[in-house]
Amino acid sequence: MPSADFKDELLGEIRNLRAFAISLSGSVSLADDLVQESLLRAWANSEKFQPGTSLRAWLFTILRNIYYSNYRKRAREVQDSEGLYARRLTVPGDQESHLDLEDFRQALTKLPAEQREVLTLIGASGLSYEEAAAVCQVGIGTIKSRLSRARAKLVELLELDVSSHESVERKVRRVG
Amino acid sequence: MVRMNEARVTKLENLAPRTGSQDQGGTAAAQAIGRALGAHYSDLVQAPLPDKLLELLARLDDEQKSKGSRDALG
Repeated sequence: MPSADFKDELLGEIRNLRAFAISLSGSVSLADDLVQESLLRAWANSEKFQPGTSLRAWLFTILRNIYYSNYRKRAREVQDSEGLYARRLTVPGDQESHLDLEDFRQALTKLPAEQREVLTLIGASGLSYEEAAAVCQVGIGTIKSRLSRARAKLVELLELDVSSHESVERKVRRVG
Repeated sequence: MVRMNEARVTKLENLAPRTGSQDQGGTAAAQAIGRALGAHYSDLVQAPLPDKLLELLARLDDEQKSKGSRDALG
């Protein structure tokens, strides 16, 4: 039986785990199945978690393994995450700059899955390179190069101008 | 939440190429991407949990409480 602390920490990670699952599968309904299965597996294997390491990274690893073993094929058929995104369409930035969030989401869907995953793990979920490498079962160099390619691809897709600071701001305002 | 997003932006910013005249532009693009990614993801994180997951959590909680009280009695 897991400790009360473990349970509390687990509960604290559910929203992040679900966000990762939605990013990974592109589907809310599959994500909920994935999260449920991952939570049950984590609960049953709590003694395998090493205290002092990242519970988030551990849970992401479990969920990712379940996804790639059992869900990946289904995920291609069910893409129903659009409904979640109705609430906010633009990103407030510094001063008056805005990047259209819908454009950004479209661009994200065009990235290779492995690049989107690394962006999600490091850029959005706050994992370290080491933790992301452990979750994806690849080396740190691979993580860094995927991240760098993901960023370059987004710059290209969103037509962000990298030639000067000022032109980026102009472009970003125009998009917004 | 805002502070967390800023931290994420900083992290992505570190990935910007640090070469000559591209430096500032790369950083600005990385910041724009970092902000968009942070906003996109915070929508996902803040989305309400479905009943199915709430029920599962309640069940795990009950399971633990009943075990806890058995321990106290034993």
